[in-house]
Amino acid sequence: MTDYVDAGTAMDLSGLSQVPGSAPQVANSVNYERILNAGSEPQNWLTYYGGYNGHRYSQLDQINTENVKNLTPAWVFQFGSSGLHAGASTYAFETTPIVVDGVMYVTGWDGWVWAMDAVTGQLHWQYKHAIPFDTSLCCGNVNRGCAVGHGKVFVVTLNAHVLALDAETGKVVWDKTWGDVRAGESGTVAPLLVKNLVIVGSSGGEFGNRGHLDAFNAETGEHVWRCYTVPKPGEPESDTWPADSDAWQRGGGNTWVTGTFDPETNLLYWGTGNPAPDFDGEVREGDNRWTDSVIAVDVDTGRIHWGYQCTPHDLWDYDSNMECILFEEDGRKLLGHFDKNGYFFVLDRVNGALVRVTPFAERIDWGEITADGNVIPKIYPDKEGENVHFWPGPAGAKEWTHASYSPRTELFYVPVQDVGSTVARVRRQFKESIPYWGASVTVDSDDMNGFLKAIDAHTGEEKWRWHNPTPLCSSTLVTGGDVVFTGTPTGEFHAFDARNGVHLWQFQTGSGHHSSPISYSVDGRQYIAAPVGWGGWVEGFAPGMLGGPHGDALFVFALPE
Amino acid sequence: MTANVEQVLAGLDKQNSAALGKLIGRGNVAQAEEGPDGTMRATIRINLDEIAWDPAVLVLPHGGKVEIDVVNDDLNTHCAVLPSNGDSQFIWLTCNSKGKAVLELDGPGYYWYGSATGNDEGRGLTGVIMVLGDVPAEARLDRPTQPRP
Repeated sequence: MTDYVDAGTAMDLSGLSQVPGSAPQVANSVNYERILNAGSEPQNWLTYYGGYNGHRYSQLDQINTENVKNLTPAWVFQFGSSGLHAGASTYAFETTPIVVDGVMYVTGWDGWVWAMDAVTGQLHWQYKHAIPFDTSLCCGNVNRGCAVGHGKVFVVTLNAHVLALDAETGKVVWDKTWGDVRAGESGTVAPLLVKNLVIVGSSGGEFGNRGHLDAFNAETGEHVWRCYTVPKPGEPESDTWPADSDAWQRGGGNTWVTGTFDPETNLLYWGTGNPAPDFDGEVREGDNRWTDSVIAVDVDTGRIHWGYQCTPHDLWDYDSNMECILFEEDGRKLLGHFDKNGYFFVLDRVNGALVRVTPFAERIDWGEITADGNVIPKIYPDKEGENVHFWPGPAGAKEWTHASYSPRTELFYVPVQDVGSTVARVRRQFKESIPYWGASVTVDSDDMNGFLKAIDAHTGEEKWRWHNPTPLCSSTLVTGGDVVFTGTPTGEFHAFDARNGVHLWQFQTGSGHHSSPISYSVDGRQYIAAPVGWGGWVEGFAPGMLGGPHGDALFVFALPE
Repeated sequence: MTANVEQVLAGLDKQNSAALGKLIGRGNVAQAEEGPDGTMRATIRINLDEIAWDPAVLVLPHGGKVEIDVVNDDLNTHCAVLPSNGDSQFIWLTCNSKGKAVLELDGPGYYWYGSATGNDEGRGLTGVIMVLGDVPAEARLDRPTQPRP
């Protein structure tokens, strides 16, 4: 018998670092009222879009069009990837940081969550959720952010858990399983905290699941409601699915991008994803509601109050998950939504009526949407095995990454992709956990462009543009200093004059941008934070950059002290 | 010239045979035992000169807490970095040493673990923990049972 040396008990790996394991108690006082009035504390970035209205606008104006050329890195956070993990070739840093009174909360790929000092970048604590290597991932090993409030950090995991972490220690307070990984479901969305509810949306539309939006009690983790986006037979809108068919059971319509919220209507405005199978419409005749739609959901009950479908009976993979930005016009409550299909929709957010629809994409030939909202398909995969080519390709004229809106200029700043695709319908049988596209797809890798476009909120008219040789797939940020920030797939982080599009500054960060920059301030110094790390569904939105350098850094810029 | 397939297959299970290292995932498969309190228990070890974990695949019948005895029967120093919700678990394994790791893992799905010491990287010591089962009923989609591959 071997006389073994006692190796003891395994310890937390973070114990072999200089991470102290605790953060200041700043999140205890973050509640619904503070998030509702996020605009009154521009030093913070309290919720995913900076405010419930989705503007991605910071009132901070210390950095302006005159001095932005002096921006330099204040600090950089890096973490890297160690060992094997799911989607190792597609992991990306897609997050939106949250900042509360000098503490920054950041989520990463593969179950990482960090709290750090927003002035120095020093870690306060880190959390790692163990993610199964074989988790089905649609579009890379990614996470888009967290919600902070009630002393907790709320985050979803790739294997479809919702977690509440203690904001002071990073330890788990509650952990709920909310999706079925055997059905190809996963979690990538940044939760939205409204009242005492944590709202999360499903991922996995390419695997033929049934999309849903869920609410959990922020204190206890109790499941409060679920809202399916695809109706069962007999439910409202079920007549938009074929009768006596099981198509609804795997109909898609996922909700993987955070919605916005209007406290006066008490409605969440949430985009839904593609129907499944993506390109084979013959097995799902009808409009297929509420896929590719904007839905208005009562936040207290989870009931769909109204819906507007941007691409009925989608045959191009034109999700409508992208943001719904709330704004007013002549006293009317509206929302603006830039869709994958290349059109900018303005809806009355009280009743869902179409106010206007205008094209914003560079090349659109899949079909046409008339001024009254009538959708006329022109080019689409129809005959089995026969290639068709259309613009925009399946990644859309705009990816999930977000536009911003400045109340100063009344312009939207939109990252635009100009990439086409060749698609042939390929019928296949549905099987759980197997991708369910119904097509063979090749996105163009050479003929591509990107644009930052400034769009007039009240007319849909383009006011200015900036051209980039590769598609733009980073969110934009606009500030009270009239500066627009965005990043490129080749790593440059750019600043523009929001009024006229004049290019003001750029910095090479070393990897492509596929995330959402923010702004905040501490002790009177304004910072711009940009997560950098190329990956995700690159073969969809920029295959010409599939070989680009990966990365995983958070750059924080400021003016010299 | 065609390689002898049987010879290659036999060599996949050994250090410095067909390839340089033992092929990942090849070797024994063992299942953790479940105690009356629901905690699962298992042993993984590094045998002499194999530069690999035995079993190559540790099976857990479901997600939850597992206590693993980690044994180094080798005459070299190794370590293990194991997945667990909250933080990875690290244990240093000197020659002929034995320790314990307590892991919390979700199921279903499988996880890799390995070593963070320089001489082990690229040579092996990459093991698998496979968790069986299904997600809780309340987390499943409201739809009839679907076909699987």
